[in-house]
Amino acid sequence: MNDYPQILFKNRVVGETAFIDRFRANGGYQGLEKGLREMTPQEITATVKASGLRGRGGAGFPTGVKWSFFPADQPVEKFLVINGDEMEPGTYKDRQLLLADPHQLIEGVILSAFALQVSHAYIFIRYAYEECSRNLEQAIAEAKEAGYLGRDILGTGWDLEIHLHRSAGRYILGEETAQLNGIEGVRPNPRSKPPFPAAKGLWGKPTNVNNIETIACIPHIITGGPGWFINLGITQGGVGTKLFGLSGHLNRTECFELPVGIPLREVVETFGGGVRNGKGFKACLPGGASTPFLTAQHLDTPMDFEPLEQLDSRFGTAGVTVFDETTCMVGATLNLIRFFARESCGWCTPCRDGLSFVQWILEEIEAGRGNRDQIAMLKDQKKNITGRSFCALAEGAMGPLDGLLRHFEQELEDHVKLGRCPFGD
Amino acid sequence: MVNLTIDGKQVTVSKTATIYEAAKEAGVDIPVLCYAKKLLPFGACRVCLVEVEQMKGRLIPACTTPATEGMVVTTNSDEIAKVRKTVMEFLLVNHVLDCPVCDKGGECDLQDLTYDFEVNSNRFEGVKFDLPTDEVNPLIERNMNRCVLCGRCVRVCDEIVAYGSYSFINRGFETKIATAFDRGLSCEFCGQCLSMCPVGALLPRPFKFKARPWQLKEVDSVCGYCGNGCTVTLGCKDNQVQTIRFNDKIGVNDGNLCVRGRFGYSYVNRDDRLTTPLVRKDGQLVEASWDEALDAVSSALKDGKAGILSGARLTNEELFLLKNVAKTASASLDHSGGECYKGVTEGLQETLGLASSTGTFPQVEDADVILSIRSDFYETHPVFGMVVNQAVKRNGAKFLVLSDKTGKFNKLPDAQTLLTKPGLEVNVLNAICAALLESGQAKTDGVSGVDEFKSALADYAPAKVSAQTGVPVEAITAAAEQLAGAKKGAILLAYGLPYTAQSKELAIAAANLAILSGLAAQDEAGLYICGEKANSQGAIDLGILPGDGLGAQEQLAAAAKGDLDLLYVIGEDPMTSYPDGAKVEAAINGAKMVVVQDLFLTPTAEQADVVLPAASFAEKDGTFTNAERRIQRVRPGITSPGEAKSDFEIFTSLLGRLGAQVSYTGPQAVFAALAAENGEYAGIDFDAIGPQGVVWGGDKLAPKQQVLVSVSGLQPVEARFQLVTGSALYHSGTTSTRAKGPRAVIDEAYVELGREDAAELGVATDDQVTVKANGNTVKLKAKVDNRLPKGVVFVPNHFAGTGLNKIYQGAASVAVEVTKG
Ligand SMILES: Cc1cc2nc3c(=O)[nH]c(=O)nc-3n(C[C@H](O)[C@H](O)[C@H](O)COP(=O)(O)O)c2cc1C
Ligand code: SF4
Ligand code: SF4
Ligand code: SF4
Ligand code: SF4
Ligand code: FES
Repeated sequence: MNDYPQILFKNRVVGETAFIDRFRANGGYQGLEKGLREMTPQEITATVKASGLRGRGGAGFPTGVKWSFFPADQPVEKFLVINGDEMEPGTYKDRQLLLADPHQLIEGVILSAFALQVSHAYIFIRYAYEECSRNLEQAIAEAKEAGYLGRDILGTGWDLEIHLHRSAGRYILGEETAQLNGIEGVRPNPRSKPPFPAAKGLWGKPTNVNNIETIACIPHIITGGPGWFINLGITQGGVGTKLFGLSGHLNRTECFELPVGIPLREVVETFGGGVRNGKGFKACLPGGASTPFLTAQHLDTPMDFEPLEQLDSRFGTAGVTVFDETTCMVGATLNLIRFFARESCGWCTPCRDGLSFVQWILEEIEAGRGNRDQIAMLKDQKKNITGRSFCALAEGAMGPLDGLLRHFEQELEDHVKLGRCPFGD
Repeated sequence: MVNLTIDGKQVTVSKTATIYEAAKEAGVDIPVLCYAKKLLPFGACRVCLVEVEQMKGRLIPACTTPATEGMVVTTNSDEIAKVRKTVMEFLLVNHVLDCPVCDKGGECDLQDLTYDFEVNSNRFEGVKFDLPTDEVNPLIERNMNRCVLCGRCVRVCDEIVAYGSYSFINRGFETKIATAFDRGLSCEFCGQCLSMCPVGALLPRPFKFKARPWQLKEVDSVCGYCGNGCTVTLGCKDNQVQTIRFNDKIGVNDGNLCVRGRFGYSYVNRDDRLTTPLVRKDGQLVEASWDEALDAVSSALKDGKAGILSGARLTNEELFLLKNVAKTASASLDHSGGECYKGVTEGLQETLGLASSTGTFPQVEDADVILSIRSDFYETHPVFGMVVNQAVKRNGAKFLVLSDKTGKFNKLPDAQTLLTKPGLEVNVLNAICAALLESGQAKTDGVSGVDEFKSALADYAPAKVSAQTGVPVEAITAAAEQLAGAKKGAILLAYGLPYTAQSKELAIAAANLAILSGLAAQDEAGLYICGEKANSQGAIDLGILPGDGLGAQEQLAAAAKGDLDLLYVIGEDPMTSYPDGAKVEAAINGAKMVVVQDLFLTPTAEQADVVLPAASFAEKDGTFTNAERRIQRVRPGITSPGEAKSDFEIFTSLLGRLGAQVSYTGPQAVFAALAAENGEYAGIDFDAIGPQGVVWGGDKLAPKQQVLVSVSGLQPVEARFQLVTGSALYHSGTTSTRAKGPRAVIDEAYVELGREDAAELGVATDDQVTVKANGNTVKLKAKVDNRLPKGVVFVPNHFAGTGLNKIYQGAASVAVEVTKG
């Protein structure tokens, strides 16, 4: 069914994990050999930059550009952190990757660490992903055994240690500076930026944070070259493949590797098998819980950063959650806001107090106790919170509210008018 | 420097300034709530949001964002006003708003901002918190229903106090500030957190419902306890000190205080203050007139051989008058038990040609290497200790602690502890000097005595000293290397009454090290010699030392032999605080007449023939000189109870009675006279002593000479148990044991011992323990913790009636027997 090139899921057999033998048999660690033997750290960074790879953790920042800000050539202690918190509702792609093919990440980490000239990398995994952690432990041990990790790797004189950091994990720990606090063992509030992690990160030292999927792309970029990687994307400007985690009211809620730029309709209909129970498509979150809803009129949009931004939404993590026509969008939004309000770290006023207030209003409206003023208040709150908070969590929390207000204001009105939820069961 | 525009005004500020600080410089006020000058940027409340032209699309927190070149900042617009108002509305959603019964009313940032932003009604409504108030400790009430989660308490306790009592717990709307396991506050009670709290969530319990802030008369003065010399602003009403007000505008302590300064004021208000002179008649002390009492004292001074023992909590002016009294009466004069002060003074004179610290406290904040001698340093000088905390935690100073026990300092990040057997600090300092010389890192330019010193160190090779003291050789050589590499280093040594032994040797050993490591000659910081009492440095500067007369111990010996007609004790309780209590008792029994001038009927006063009621620091006008040579103004907030008089008045009367021609109009005039006689104070004008005081000799005092002097350490005491004494953090001298605050934390003396010893003896905290030595026994409750190495026990020296000085006779450490029961 999936005829698109499988790069990240090349070794994936559902229910199995590829360890070093299968990984190497399928060309694993060739990127590492090439990168470490034939390229300088600067060349690797330049290649990644040329590939146009954008971060897969949600913010979509160009990875090569981020690396070029990193003081790789400074002879100071510095760190690489791999973000595997993955707690955004609707996002589960990093997990699939680690269940299928942990060495792919290890190879990526080694190459990235070499490019950034760090000697210690941390892979941050939350407790719920214990199976992934075990896979990584085995992969790290195997890589060490094979001489890809440890001292004087492949005779380059360069050393690397990979530390697996198991964390209690929480949504806020996915935010990179909160994650650094988490690794340090203090309360995971985000940190004030500047200073950015590249200047002062883990234990005050320069630190680069990247997502698991982002790093897993690196070996392929090194073996295949930037031109090949760019061509994997099928839109103008879209590069590479992307893991799409499907969820919600679909016939098939699985994770697929698809080219960047694939139309939303194809994702929903071909891969998701269409909306379940023969119902109509009402809306979706295109890239995780923090991305504003799209509606049926957006089904032909290419799934890529720019086109989705033009619709005032975001590509995020490409976790696509679909809602069928019977869904109450007020209820759906309330559900998401509850998550964000609960996960707020409580540091800054607009998020800590503002989100719970938004939740309260939505509860009132959903329960049929709402009024018009409260709809106005929701609009006001969106402005009061967006761009006012300390970190991006609160801003993300406003994503679904923003979508609700832009596309489904009528549903709010209906709740008020009827004094109950029109979709009530 | 960067240039930027704020509300149309051009400003140039330092590269490290934030937008908030830049605005302040431009005279533009940006409202803040979670920001605090002395804490690291935080950025949580979002009250300070501003617009920056270059960062359009979002509002920028002024308190965390660095000012950059060419920035164009707008601090007020409709949008900004609305955002700020919204933040207040958010905060007020769950705030209890019980202002009428909140002590913070009238000086609450939440009240003020609510008023400023005209938040007349709240569009939002929600649940009010209903959390129980934390009242498990007697000093600080925590009402988390009023908390606005600015984190200032959490931060100050971590960043500055380095205690770390608080943390945010829970998430989202449930977020709150909690202590460990949410069990309630139990800490060192410095009260920094409550001084930082912008609302009424943290309040001083002793002041609860006592007054509204605007009813208090505020008087800026200096803490009467230790040589740190913190500014305290007395909040007075009804002729009582009701509280200590937060003040970070003046003085050297940045608004920081310790438990003694913040909560230890209440002894001045006590009902049992002495209010009239007492004279012994038919074996009883009975009330007498001032004339009768003073006549008795002055005739004894005039006619006989007199010895005077003063405390170091008198003002400079009083000490100067006292010196004149002694001179006029040809009496011997000494202070604070004598030995230690005399020893330190002589030791420093012989080596560096001075008798004080070389630098100021703030210079230590960015020192790169710090050596503290005795972990007690934090206990004796907590607020200077907080400067060290910041140097280490914030600025990454290397920190070495040479001590016979661990303490708070040892817990600082990367602190390197040179844990020695008791009494052997000199040995270790000598060994560090030996390591410096051996490795060729020693700085010997312009230093005399090098060769003799070198040969005298033969016995102090690091390996040898290591075997003797238990400090690893590598620790000694590493310390030498770090000190030698210091660009701005500091060596800190606390001294005082409970540290009598080897005081001269210790001062010399510390000075030797300061010389050889190059610290003494640096442009800043250097050697810090910190006296125990509020005016210990003043007493040294004014020469309240024996000179040709009898020192304290000699006075006591003479009195015991019946050779002293008068023993005149001022502001000290030798029966409690001097080593060798038997010797003190013999002196008191042997002296023909004993006069005690004090606030209370102390154990010594009870034995006196004449008792003169004196004034407390809160009732005095004058100056104290702190441990960094800073002369600061002491001002009266209240008047003395009954007929009590200041030492100033008493000495003036005595001088008159002794026939001296003096007519000082007040402290000003006396200060002028003392400045004229004392080179270091010359040219300093009493009225010109400003809010930051005057540091005599300038911020850095260059040593007059650099002479190495060899000194011998001691041999370790070989016994299953040895006893050391000293200060406990919560107390200072004996005075604080009459103050409710410190007493609320530590109410009685105790024997502290390590877990291993406790287990061996089968002793738990609060069990009774008997300590026996020199044929005497002391029975105290045990306090078991992990500060003391095996075989060492500690008893604080503050409490009357413990009988500690029956066992402790001045030795660095005493072999004792310790048993349960
Ligand atoms: C609330 C919040 C949660 C986040 N969670 C994750 C996460 O689970 N995994 C992740 O890779 N990035 C997460 N991010 C984004 C990270 O902060 C960061 O941008 C990312 O790890 C950078 O990696 P990338 O450039 O490879 O995407 C989160 C951000 C926020 C604000
Ligand atoms: S936006 Fe929310 S999660 Fe982020 S710092 Fe503020 S309170 Fe914490
Ligand atoms: S009183 Fe001092 S030690 Fe105790 S919590 Fe407050 S700041 Fe921390
Ligand atoms: S208790 Fe006071 S200082 Fe601490 S967070 Fe709450 S409001 Fe701020
Ligand atoms: S006792 Fe010392 S440290 Fe404490 S407040 Fe007073 S002067 Fe400061
Ligand atoms: S004062 Fe700036 S965010 Fe609180």
